[in-house]
Order: sequence, then C-alpha cells, then structure tokens
Amino acid sequence: MEGKVRIGFYALTSCYGCQLQLAMMDELLQLLPHAEIVCWFMLERDSYEDEPVDIAFIEGSVSTEEEVELVRKIRENAKIVVAVGSCAVHGGVQSWEKDKSLEELWKTVYGDGKVKFEPKMAEPVENYIKVDYRIYGCPPEKRDFLYALGTFLVGSWPEDIDYPVCVECRLKGHPCILIEKGEPCLGPITRAGCDARCPGFGVACIGCRGAIGYDVAWFDSLARTFKEKGISKEEILQRMKMFNAHNPKLEEMVEKIFQGVEE
Amino acid sequence: MKNLYLPITVDHIARVEGKGGVEIVVGDDSVKEVKLNIIEGPRFFEAITVGKKLDEALAVYPRICSFCSAAHKLTAVEAAEKAIGFTPREEIQALREVLYIGDMIESHALHLYLLVLPDYLGYSNPLKMVDEYKKEIGIALELKNLGSWMMDELGSRAIHQENAVLGGFGKLPDKATLELMKKRLSEALPKAEYTFELFAKLEQYEEVEGPIIHMAVKPRGDVYGIYGDAISVSDGFEFPSEDYKKYMVERVVEHSFAKHSFYREKPFMTGAISRVVNHADKLYGRAKELYESHRDLLRPTNPFANNLAQALELVYFIERGVDLIDEALAKWPVRPRDEVEIRDGFGVSTTEAPRGILVYALEVKDGRVAYADIITPTAFNLAMMEVHVRMMAEKHYNEPERLKYLTEMVVRAYDPCISCSVHVAKL
Repeated sequence: MEGKVRIGFYALTSCYGCQLQLAMMDELLQLLPHAEIVCWFMLERDSYEDEPVDIAFIEGSVSTEEEVELVRKIRENAKIVVAVGSCAVHGGVQSWEKDKSLEELWKTVYGDGKVKFEPKMAEPVENYIKVDYRIYGCPPEKRDFLYALGTFLVGSWPEDIDYPVCVECRLKGHPCILIEKGEPCLGPITRAGCDARCPGFGVACIGCRGAIGYDVAWFDSLARTFKEKGISKEEILQRMKMFNAHNPKLEEMVEKIFQGVEE
Repeated sequence: MKNLYLPITVDHIARVEGKGGVEIVVGDDSVKEVKLNIIEGPRFFEAITVGKKLDEALAVYPRICSFCSAAHKLTAVEAAEKAIGFTPREEIQALREVLYIGDMIESHALHLYLLVLPDYLGYSNPLKMVDEYKKEIGIALELKNLGSWMMDELGSRAIHQENAVLGGFGKLPDKATLELMKKRLSEALPKAEYTFELFAKLEQYEEVEGPIIHMAVKPRGDVYGIYGDAISVSDGFEFPSEDYKKYMVERVVEHSFAKHSFYREKPFMTGAISRVVNHADKLYGRAKELYESHRDLLRPTNPFANNLAQALELVYFIERGVDLIDEALAKWPVRPRDEVEIRDGFGVSTTEAPRGILVYALEVKDGRVAYADIITPTAFNLAMMEVHVRMMAEKHYNEPERLKYLTEMVVRAYDPCISCSVHVAKL
C-alpha cells in the first residue's frame, strides 16, 4: 500500500481483549509512522466511525441491532475487513447458549427489566457482511497481529493456519494431556498458532482459536481417543460449543466422528 | 436559554474499556437529565454458564473483561473453591495474589498513562505523546510489560489466563523466574514513584467535590490487599461478603444494559480511592510514606483522586508483590496443584479488582454451575458516576464542548470497565 495506510479499529460487543492485545504491543510504535488511525475509540478521542479506511479491524460479536448497522457501515467504508478474535470470527463465548431463546436468557438475567436498545443473540460478523480475513484467538497472539499487519503493509495477503494445536504441542514436547491425563483437550481439532500455550501449562486446550476446517483426518483418531478415555459425545459437543457455537456443521461432525469408531 | 432544551451528548466515550455514552439534557437554565448510556450489548454470562461443567464455566468467566481477566479468573476460582469446600495452601494463595498484582500493575499503568494522561497533556491519543513525552511513555511501557509478564508467567498469558485452576495452578514458574520477578519488581519501584509524583501534580476538578460513600473489601490478614471476606463502608459499617445483596442493591435502569447499584438507597463508589479511604491504615512501606505526605490529595471527596490512588497502589503493590513472592519462596519447592473433590455447595468471593469490588457467587451441584451471580466494580459505580457527571454538567452546561471534555474526564477517572458492567446478573 502506498502512503499512510488508514486503519480503523471498531468494537462490537466483547471484552475488548483483542484491542487491548494490540494496544499492548510495543511494536505498535514502529507501525505508527506508516499508519493513520482513523477510528480506535479505545485509544483515540478523535475517532470517526464513518470515515473510509484501508483496513477495518472489527472485534466483538454482533449483539444489538445498532451493531448490525455499524458493521454494514464499516464494510461500505473499508477496502479490507478483518474480523479479529473469537467473538468477531465465531460469535464468542457469549454464543455458548445460542440454542436458547433471547427471551429466555433476557428473563434469567434482567427479569422484567427493559432497556431502550435492541439486544439480539450474539453472532459472528460474517453473518452480516463479507469478511476478508480472520485473526483467530481469544485473545489472538501478538504475532497474529504482527503477521497480518506486516503482510497487509507490504501489499500481500496473510494465510490461514491449517494445522491443529497438537502439531505445535508435539514440537514443544509437552506431555499429552488427552492421552496421558485423559482430560478433554481440544488441541487435536483447534487451529494452531498459540504454540500450544495452555497444554504447556498442563491445562487442557479449550479451543479458543476455533476449530480448524472440518473434514480432516484427525477427527477419527480423536474420536477414538475421546471414547477410549470415557469422554462422551455430549461432553465434547458442549465443550466445543464454547468457541464454535455458530458452526453449522458442528453437531453433524461430532456425530460423525463418534459413529466413525467401530469396536 | 429559557425553555430551550439542549441535548449535549457524547455518543461514544473514548479511552475507556467498552462502549458507553453520555446524554445531558439542559433546559430552563438547569440540567434536566443526565444519563450514562451503556451501549455495549448484553452477554448473559451468568445465564450461559448455568448448567455447565465447573471448569468450563471458570474458563469462560474471565472473558467478561480483558483489562481485569485475572481478577475475574481468580475471584471465580475462589468462589468455586469456597463452594466445594476447598482452601488452597498459603503459598498458593500468595502466588495467586502475585498474579492478581500483575493484573493490577498492568491495568493501573495502562489507565493512568494511556487513558488519563493524554487529556491533561492535551493529546487525543497516547501514541501521539511519544516524541514529547518519551520518559513517560517509556515508564508506561515498562510497568505495563512488567504486569503482563507476571501474568504470562503465573497465568499463562496477560489476557484470559488459563493457568489458574481449581486446586492451584496448572504449572508454576521455576524458582529462578520468581527471583527474577522480585528483581524486576524492585527495579520498577522508582518508576512507580515517579508516576505518583507526576499524578500528584494534576488537577482534581473542584466541580465534583462532595461527600462520597466508599466501599472496599476488608483485606484478609490486616494487610492492604486484594482478598477479603467482608466489605467495609466509609460510614463505619461493615458486613460479611455473603450479605452483599442486602447492602449493594441492584436495579435495572432503562437506559443501560448494565444495572445500577445502591447502598441504603444511595449511590456509592468503589475502586482505588475507596480502598485507600477505607484501608490506608493497612498500607506499609514506601506507599505508606507517600500516603502520609499526600493525604490532602488522596481525599475521599473527589472522584479524580482515584487516579492518584491508582498511582499510589502501583508503588504499594510492587512492594507487596516482592513480599508475597518471598512468602512462597520460603516454602519452596511448591507443589502447584492439589487434588480437589467437586462437592455440592455455595460460595461467595469478594476481591478488589483494579477498579473496585468484584463479587462472584457460585452454587455448584453435580459438578456443574447451578447458580451464578457476578457483579463488577463498574456496575457498582455507574450510579455514582452519573451523580458526578451531573455535578460537572451543572457547572458547565453553558459551554457544551468544554463540558463534553470534562464529562469524559470524570468518567475516565473511574476507569470504567464497561464490558465488565454488561455481564448482568440474576435478579
């Protein structure tokens, strides 16, 4: 890209962690001479949601009618739209109970209370507008930002990672939490890029970077291992829904991998 | 201005965490209405975690807020452990508090330097301060990096830590890393003191001067800190954490996805200044000295004093962190984790998050969350924040642009975590 690249960082409903991750990067200071921040309310008082930008980063899930309007406006104004983090890409943990009705959730939490805004069930940005690139993670790793930004700035296009956390976990030499401890680690089906951060601390992967594209071979062996360890289909489904609730193929796929295990 | 109704609105308050706006309606030479609009969407955290496995719910709760994810994680874990009847060993408690302190240092440094300071120095964005204020930005980055690194080492990462689990930690750093942590903390102390001196020079606007009810968690062990089992009020009243619902009453208000809270029908404040007001006698070390010499600035009557109180806490928590690491090292080697049996029960944990009292009440049944109630500092503070915005509006409604600026500064002084406040609890 020539001249200063115009960047906007927009927030929908989220914990603000993706923005915080970017704001905390010392490397940001090196980027600044090449970029103009048009909109980034978390850091910039003079922010404009309506201005044209080269790259629009959107974090958060679409959770109000107002946010539906906002993402449409951002799309109109942006050359490249990047969905950042698990909320924007997958609907976020707030989608965990997406099969319940909004009314039911509302009543549980607000009772009969009303507010003047129009809430809706959390959804990924892609349900409303075309997204050009996704940065995965809850939150994304700093290097995810560096890679994407750096690649865009040299006028190229970043690529998705298409292998699971297990690959990185093996390379790091961590003990296998699934096989050795029998815990429901989602490493085998979760998109890599975190260097198997959680298994490195002896904690099972919860799948925060989302599932890698389905229809891949390791699903079968994973199903076998899950079953051997006494982890039920329902348990896996519930756990996978934490960060993948909106995936239309999730139930079908989990069903399939368990059926695939012949004794 | 007779009969003219003038709306003064800030649609999207900048440099806070989350999305909120302010609406001020002026008419007949007076301020008619002041509303702090929380426009962040609802996320139903309690509702979505009820019925879920305890460990999975504990992984989701920190996602309420990134600025204080360690606070959420550790408070949720403590509530869950109280519910199942487990008490962690002292050294584990000490190390958890060090992790929490990492969050405190990072959060306070970010708030003070990146969100608050630009207003005082006349910048719209902290990144624009780099050339002119090299030293300040350098200190901001150093303190922020220190806090983040502490959370990386003890929590697995700076945002959404997975390494704090029921029974302890998944893994602990080695002794050398903890020694290094002590060293880095000690080296950061002069920078925290510089921060305090810097913020002691900044104006606290007298427009918002007035009585404030302060609430803070009464620290365990009589040492200024984060964990506690009772809440103290600046009127002298004290109640056990389990009674939080009796004295911190929440109501749904029409203009906000976050509820408002009241103590005996009155708004109250929580946060660094409330901790200092209620528990300064439990400070020690350099922070104690700074408190004594700056008591007139750390006063209970002005929300802007919260900024300086955060700076004071940077000094305090750096020294406290070193002492807690020493406590853990005295028992080295420390086993990271104990087996826990997940029994049925109910537990309430109240801790001091960077922005104030954080409440988690969890009921566990058959290994699952049966009930969850979470109330965050910003939700507690919203009613009080509205009072202070109104006070500012009453003085400046004739100069809308200046009022907008000052309004944002008032809100920012609270360091609101608007995402947090939209967690929303069961009624």
